[in-house]
Amino acid sequence: MQWVQVLVLGLLLGGVYAMMASGLTLLFGVMRVVNLAHAAFILVASYITYVLFENLAMDPMISLVVTMPLMFILGVVLYLLLFPRLEGNPRYVEMTVLLTFGLALIVEGMLTFVFTGIFRSVRPEYASSAINVGEIFMPTSQFYASMISFALLIVLWLVLRFTKTGTAIRATMQNRAAAQIVGVNVRRVSAISFGIGMALAGAAGSLLSFMFPFFPARHWQWVALLLALIVLGGMGSIKGAVIGALLLAVASAAVTTLIGPTWSPITFYLTLFLILLLRPQGLFGAKVRL
Amino acid sequence: MPALLEVENVVAGYGTGPDILTGLTLSIEEGNSYCIVGPNGAGKSTLLRTITGFLEPRQGEVRLDGARMNGSRPDQMLSAGVCFVPQDASLFPTMTVRENLAMGGYLIDDRGLLKERMDMVYQTFPALADRQGQNAGTLSGGEQQMVTLGRALMIEPKVVMIDEPSLGLAPMIADQIFEKITGFKDLGITVLLVEQNAVKGLETVDWGFVLDLGSLEFEGPADGILADPRIRELYLGKAMSREK
Amino acid sequence: MAVVERREELVGTSRGRKPGSTSRRVTLIVSLGLVLLFPLIAYPIFDSYAYVMQLGMLLLMWIAMSSSWNILGGFAGYISLGHGVFYAVGGYTAGLALAHWGISPFLFLPVAGFAAMVVGFFAGLITLRTRGPAFIVATIAMLFLFLLWFDNWEFIGASSGLDLPLFQFNIQFLKVPFYYAMAVSAIGAVYLSYRVAHSKFGLGLRAISQDETKAEVAGINTRWYKVWAFALSAFFIGTAGAVYGYSLTHLRPLTFFAIAVAARMVLMAIIGGRGTVAGPVIGAILILGVNEVAIRQLGESALNIVFTGLILLAALLFFPEGIVGSLRKAGRLPAFLDWD
Repeated sequence: MQWVQVLVLGLLLGGVYAMMASGLTLLFGVMRVVNLAHAAFILVASYITYVLFENLAMDPMISLVVTMPLMFILGVVLYLLLFPRLEGNPRYVEMTVLLTFGLALIVEGMLTFVFTGIFRSVRPEYASSAINVGEIFMPTSQFYASMISFALLIVLWLVLRFTKTGTAIRATMQNRAAAQIVGVNVRRVSAISFGIGMALAGAAGSLLSFMFPFFPARHWQWVALLLALIVLGGMGSIKGAVIGALLLAVASAAVTTLIGPTWSPITFYLTLFLILLLRPQGLFGAKVRL
Repeated sequence: MPALLEVENVVAGYGTGPDILTGLTLSIEEGNSYCIVGPNGAGKSTLLRTITGFLEPRQGEVRLDGARMNGSRPDQMLSAGVCFVPQDASLFPTMTVRENLAMGGYLIDDRGLLKERMDMVYQTFPALADRQGQNAGTLSGGEQQMVTLGRALMIEPKVVMIDEPSLGLAPMIADQIFEKITGFKDLGITVLLVEQNAVKGLETVDWGFVLDLGSLEFEGPADGILADPRIRELYLGKAMSREK
Repeated sequence: MAVVERREELVGTSRGRKPGSTSRRVTLIVSLGLVLLFPLIAYPIFDSYAYVMQLGMLLLMWIAMSSSWNILGGFAGYISLGHGVFYAVGGYTAGLALAHWGISPFLFLPVAGFAAMVVGFFAGLITLRTRGPAFIVATIAMLFLFLLWFDNWEFIGASSGLDLPLFQFNIQFLKVPFYYAMAVSAIGAVYLSYRVAHSKFGLGLRAISQDETKAEVAGINTRWYKVWAFALSAFFIGTAGAVYGYSLTHLRPLTFFAIAVAARMVLMAIIGGRGTVAGPVIGAILILGVNEVAIRQLGESALNIVFTGLILLAALLFFPEGIVGSLRKAGRLPAFLDWD
């Protein structure tokens, strides 16, 4: 029964991770950008949620309606401002990593400046309650967050599968040159994808705000974790990211139970290292040559 | 009346690299078919990339129906009727043949028209009709080339630029592909072909361009070029002797 | 055609006597003299002597770090965001030797450097199986893996840290020995960088950074070249960590592993011009100078990290080749800065 409990907790957390990672892997798939600032932007949304909760008593789950469009716009603007300049650079992929690294530093610094480095958390009523099904126990906050995450993932899948823009995004992910040949405006698609990725980061930020306490420098841990997830699933594959997230979340829940919570992050980094060791080309794909 | 496509004194190259095209001028009339031949590094592929908007010319002008097209994006060139078939069968590997063809009609919003065009492609390439539901990445080289050609037909372009369609194909399969390209003329599509295999390329078209060192050295009726021993010697030596 | 040109470019930057070689020599001798005599010159000039010496030590430290990082990140083109690990390995190796056996870190410097190099060698063996963005991600993972380990390792004091005995010395001149110990690292790192740039090994690294597949075809054993570049780049970061840790007298994992530390090395090398010998030195002087002015004007605040990020962004977007690289491209690099 203890293992069922571990599985349930792992899957709940995995759902949220999956949504966070899907945005990151989407950006990589469409424009070969490893966005090191992804988690920093997630935190931006957490702080927005925090402000809305403290000042307007807005429920963090409602504030998704604010953070998602806001982050979408920010994403499109940032993309158009920064990335077209780097196109055609022979070291494009590497440059974009450094660029997003710089972005992460800027965001972290500004958050620290405005909110200081202390821990914050958003505490709606459900943050401290739990749902019990038989002997299985689920923190209410994680249950809600997980359900919203899965819902958003389904919406993402529907958009990618059945809309014209979604088709263009998938085509660009599979073969950028071929997409251009059939008339896809890849710059526009890239901007929209960046927006979608950021909107997902926005949703993640709102949800994380009531699941875990946060402070500005926290995002490095988050982004390292997310990178481990998407490397496991294969960079650029949304399906892979979701599977990777669920697997690793369950694994880390198991480690927490067996060894203790301090060591649970090691699951992510060790997995990442092992994969790089065993299948360096397989998971990052041969396409990502410099 | 201006020619369908005019390239005038075009200079082009990649990144900060040297000029590959060094002031190239040529023009293409509607309804004909053309083949560009010349030694390796003459700038054949670069010319196609420049015309189709993948590469912006550093100097000179590209005109379509008399209108200046410099700086247009590939998707803008496509909606103006210039379609590109690059040399590596550029497909969407995990989409089916049908989805790949549908992507060819990405710029078409009319579903009925899309269906009509797709039937037309299956008529032209019956082999593809049997493979509709198969992932494009699992097809043979010849079949993949057919999908890219079929995909080009989806928007009924005015002119289609085909870069080395025979690359990596067995001679028999290549012959089938060339036969299909000959058929494009009957569909009212102007063809501009780049081919390393000069004999095959010139046999497929009406008019030939001989490129060397980034500019046009000679042009004339395709059969004339094939028959002219001096041109064979000077520009096509290697490419042709390899065929024998 | 492009291949031939690239090769010419490679040879051009590494060989060939340039007319400015005398003025370059003069620059090197003058700056070396300045570094060594600075504590004497500064004493009568500055009131806040200890502060000035501390600043001098930090400058030398960052020169050592960014020049070392540049061997892998600049010459070989492999961007590592995990070099904080070697900083920590050096710092803790020397710190533990002092705390447990009473050996002065100043004497233990070579060992600390060597320890960092060994770790660098093995880290290289693993992470260099990847390329490009995957490599960057791998180095970040490496950083966090080590941080987690150090944070939970009781023997070295875990996350609360390790206390070192104070260095007994005249209080006014306390910083001077640290300054000289750091000068050893800085001079060593720049010298190493110079030697690498002027060797067949360095030529191989440049070939790898331009086109790894072609370098391999040309007969370069790319794997070992890269692993050795990784190991060498760790050495003087390790010695710098040893001296810096000693000057703090209290070692905490986060001091060394903070991503901002790694960020600075990268930033300095990029701003100055990565893949050049002079670039990281110039970058270190510039960034530390700007930082010092910012702190004086605005006070120590989180905005500093914002500036770091903004400068990185501006450098990448507007002059990705850095000061030295851009000047050289424009043909305006003064001879005294051309150390390649």
